[in-house]
Amino acid sequence: MSRKLTLEITVNGEAHDVLAPASATLLEVLRTQLGLTGTKCGCNHGVCGACTVLLDGKLARSCLTLVANVGERAVTTIEGIAGEQDFSPVQRALIESGAVQCGFCTPGFVIALSALFAKEPHPGREAIRRALSGNLCRCSGYVKIVEAAERLAERRP
Amino acid sequence: MEFVAPTTLEDAYRALATEEALCLAGGQSLVAMMNLGLASPARLVSLRRIEALRGIARQADGSLHIGAMTTHAELAELESSAAGPSLLAQAARVVAYPAVRAQGTLGGAVAHADPAADYPVVLTAAAATIEIGSPRGTRRVAAREFFRGIFETALEKGEIVTGIHLPAGPPDARAAYEKLSLVAGDFAIVSVAAIVGRTAEIAIGGCGPKPLLLSEVGLSDEALLAAGKRLAVVCDPSDDQRASGSYRRKVLPGLIRRAVQAAMVRS
Amino acid sequence: MSIGASPPRLDAADKATGRAQYVDDIQLPGMLHAALLTSPHAHARILDYRLDAARAIPGVKAIVVGPDLKTGRAGGMIKDESMIARDKVRYVGEPVAAVAAVDPATAARAAAAIEIDYEPLPAVLTIDESLAEGAPLLHEHFASYIQTVQGGGHDNVFFQSSMVEGDVDKAFAQCDEIVENTWETQAQHHVYLETNGCVATADASGRITLHATCQSVHHIQQRVAEELGEPMARIRVIATRVGGGFGGKHASNIHSIAAWLARAARRPVKLVLSRMQDFEVQRSRHPARIWMRTGATRDGTILARDVRITTDGGAYADESPSVLTFALMMSRGPYRIANVRAHGQTVYTNKLRAGSFRGFGNPQASFAGESQIDEIAARLDINPLELRLKNAMRPDDTAFGGHPVASCVLVECLERVRDAQRVAPSLAPRAGRKRGVGFAAVSHISGLMGTSANVQLRTDGSIALSTGCVDLGQGSDTTMVQICADALAVPIEKVSYSPQDSDSSPYNWKTAGSRSTYMTGRAVAVATVQVREKMLEHAGEMMECALADLELRPGGAIGLKGVPKSVTFKEVALRSLFQSGGPIAVSHGFVFDGPPFDPKRAVLHQLAFPNLGVYTYGAHCVEVDVDELTGAVEVRRAWCAHDVGRAINPLSCEGQIQGGFVQGMGYALTEVMQWDAQGWLTTVTLADYKVPGVLDSPVEIYPIVLEDPDPSHPVGAKGVGEPSLVGVAPAIANAICNATGARVRILPMKPERVLDALEKRT
Repeated sequence: MSRKLTLEITVNGEAHDVLAPASATLLEVLRTQLGLTGTKCGCNHGVCGACTVLLDGKLARSCLTLVANVGERAVTTIEGIAGEQDFSPVQRALIESGAVQCGFCTPGFVIALSALFAKEPHPGREAIRRALSGNLCRCSGYVKIVEAAERLAERRP
Repeated sequence: MEFVAPTTLEDAYRALATEEALCLAGGQSLVAMMNLGLASPARLVSLRRIEALRGIARQADGSLHIGAMTTHAELAELESSAAGPSLLAQAARVVAYPAVRAQGTLGGAVAHADPAADYPVVLTAAAATIEIGSPRGTRRVAAREFFRGIFETALEKGEIVTGIHLPAGPPDARAAYEKLSLVAGDFAIVSVAAIVGRTAEIAIGGCGPKPLLLSEVGLSDEALLAAGKRLAVVCDPSDDQRASGSYRRKVLPGLIRRAVQAAMVRS
Repeated sequence: MSIGASPPRLDAADKATGRAQYVDDIQLPGMLHAALLTSPHAHARILDYRLDAARAIPGVKAIVVGPDLKTGRAGGMIKDESMIARDKVRYVGEPVAAVAAVDPATAARAAAAIEIDYEPLPAVLTIDESLAEGAPLLHEHFASYIQTVQGGGHDNVFFQSSMVEGDVDKAFAQCDEIVENTWETQAQHHVYLETNGCVATADASGRITLHATCQSVHHIQQRVAEELGEPMARIRVIATRVGGGFGGKHASNIHSIAAWLARAARRPVKLVLSRMQDFEVQRSRHPARIWMRTGATRDGTILARDVRITTDGGAYADESPSVLTFALMMSRGPYRIANVRAHGQTVYTNKLRAGSFRGFGNPQASFAGESQIDEIAARLDINPLELRLKNAMRPDDTAFGGHPVASCVLVECLERVRDAQRVAPSLAPRAGRKRGVGFAAVSHISGLMGTSANVQLRTDGSIALSTGCVDLGQGSDTTMVQICADALAVPIEKVSYSPQDSDSSPYNWKTAGSRSTYMTGRAVAVATVQVREKMLEHAGEMMECALADLELRPGGAIGLKGVPKSVTFKEVALRSLFQSGGPIAVSHGFVFDGPPFDPKRAVLHQLAFPNLGVYTYGAHCVEVDVDELTGAVEVRRAWCAHDVGRAINPLSCEGQIQGGFVQGMGYALTEVMQWDAQGWLTTVTLADYKVPGVLDSPVEIYPIVLEDPDPSHPVGAKGVGEPSLVGVAPAIANAICNATGARVRILPMKPERVLDALEKRT
């Protein structure tokens, strides 16, 4: 049985006190202690990408991240990705392109695309596909997700 | 389970000295195993805060010293005309998936030694050296001797991979990494890493418990196919869920030739 | 007009911001967590249980094992299952006990502490082992099971069926060319991104409420009531947002367990399967062996087809009878073959049950049939697309089984994909790869069973719409609202749509069978028109004119033709509520009412379902590259033409076509559930079970949406959910053959299998 640790982590700009066993993943803590259920558990072994968050702006699978190892790194989840806006441009693009079906994979794709656009303002098709290569979708066949990202890449200044 | 995150190597060695203590590097393999119930260490020693394990230092002869906690993403961005670094960068780009590359580390992958993983193969081809630290000091083991079997390395209890020394390779040599997998991001069915100078150094993954090596292979079609066919006969690839051993033997000679030809057309 | 527009889906914003609530997002005060203990044996008698160690663990609140169950067996058409194993286990992974405890770790520990004594029995893991002389029987008491369809089984064969038209043997004698072969298809898993799960609560009287990710609240309600031995009035099921279904969540496996535990513990219980458990506990697609013989005359007229299908049903019958029957029905393919004999049987094996999965037997039948069309075309030296065009069904033909087909645009589908591929700029060839083009024709149905819709006029003139149709992600919520809004000429914002709740939603069979837009959409359209008529009556009285003088005005008003005078929906509503007539609300329901099978044309034996129909047609064209060194196949581009009758939301139609294509591509090339010699499923993670990712899938999947309205639907709409997958595997197999001359007849067509086929080429 794991001893419980007292930790402080920063999620979406807010500091949170967390009491969790050392073996707890960031995914579990986000969903069950912090009430941030937008990040999803699709497999819990690091393949499907539904649990994707940002750690200091870098992509991370929260199911493979021990909450004890987060440390001072800033966590960004789907609930915080748009900042003060209702929707980020990535979210808007997916909503408008018919790219959201069952929606379970969508938060992970939003995070992955957000990280891409933070690095590359106008990615081409291949860069988009590579950036999304760690996110599974079973409903859409990926086409409209890629097309939404391509349109956004064209539209943005 | 206990969790500690030391800031110095000395503190890390002390924490590792107990039974059932494991290192946590990027966690991309270890935490997955823990989630699946395949690993439950009594103590985890996170290496995340140890600065001495970070950084890539270019030496005068073009070789690199790479800290163990360097991520795949950082390696993927290596720009170098030298064959060794180029080969490592090519492999880093196809390890798993972007989120795994952002967090997973060279040291972690090397210590884990999955027989179908990418780094053991390229480090073998590039004749890299693994740097191992312990309370007794640092020792160096050639990559070609470091990877011993399935998840088995030259690491002894309480030791940590602290870095990799990556030779530049022969002057004007070029390198290519070919990976055959069922879906993108998957482990390899067969992988081939080739450094091509006047002759080729070729390492093969997925065809046995550790990487296989063909040294000083001639560059003609005939020489490559012949070396590949000889290897196919003597190697012992097992059947697994991805493919059978006999399939691996069948495709091996052609993949070797493909990797060498891919290296030769790179500028 | 909202039909034909593609407004963003009603649920898209919540999903894209992480606000949408799925089962595992639900947290209730005092909620417990359930863990399952599953069988380590493929086949064994259960001798004894020891629960003391588990019960003693602090935090354990309830345990259930087989002997606790008091009701009879449940299931689909053959009631051979229980919510947890009783007396025997029949597959590795079968739930034998369940625990509710204060947290998941405690529940798991307690489940592991339950000791069970087994007497292992010999197991059968394949069709051949199951059929072998003297094979161990999985269900020795089969004769005592309740069966709503008599299946004429024997030993491990639990269901048989056949359909015959014409005289096959006589017709073969007239053929110039005959081809005959056997195809094998594998167990595919749905791999919805959200695993199966539910949260159950019991009120003080023991009445159950279940929040479930499911494909039908009414079906789950019925099954749980059956397994708990209660009237359905004591069970309430509410659908959460569903993270994908594909047929895998349309029946109930785990809901009764959660309900039982919630009652016993007097606290809410969450039971959500891990990914590994979902692979082991739920259901797969039926593995199948299809033997097929097709004969034609020299001029390319296909005269006869003979088919024998054996499906592997796994340990429990589930939807096997229906899947088998449907496979037989689809085995003629969308062709005018006058003489067809199709026999089928389904067997028990000691593996996970096989059940409903997008396509429902048609992918298996089509893999064989559409491959064989290409093979006989080669023998006849006729272009395979031309052969299809020559034999394709046309309007007013009859389907296999005798249904008259009101409309059929198959010819146009085939021509459109052929032409689209021809005019597309050629892709540059790749070194070491051979390029090939392959086709497949598809037919499917979209009408069956019963459904209903409620439409109500609210006080302010807006509309309340309610159906029992659960949106699995295919977009039915938005589609129903669009149909309703269109009939009233109001913007979709003026129509609210209720979540599915068995306490208040009108009956719907299931979201399955590509039936939602046709069946529930039709009920919505009819109910809305009836509401419209009542409003017109009011308006006529209010404006003192004849009904014929009235017209709908966009935005929610009814006007007098030719003049500005009008009344708003709100005014009509107020009149109805406060003055005369009463609340305007219509409930319209129906059961599929298309023409029945024709016993004068077809001899049908033991068909598992009543009537079904509303045929849809489609065609696939794919371009592949085959790596001759490794056998790896890459799909470069695809054109998919589907007749959807009427595209209510075109982007949603396209999304189904593209998504079905990629799931079909996984079926064709990389996905396979594998068991070891002891019956343990070895592909239990997403690392082992290979679902296509974005880099494995072409972006160039071109949906071609055709609209040939069905006359029995007010708006003409039909389904597209399943046809989008059905033809993919044979189109790819045909393309591989076109590229290399190698024919692969076993799925999935992994590189190793393709390489073997390449080596066997003459």
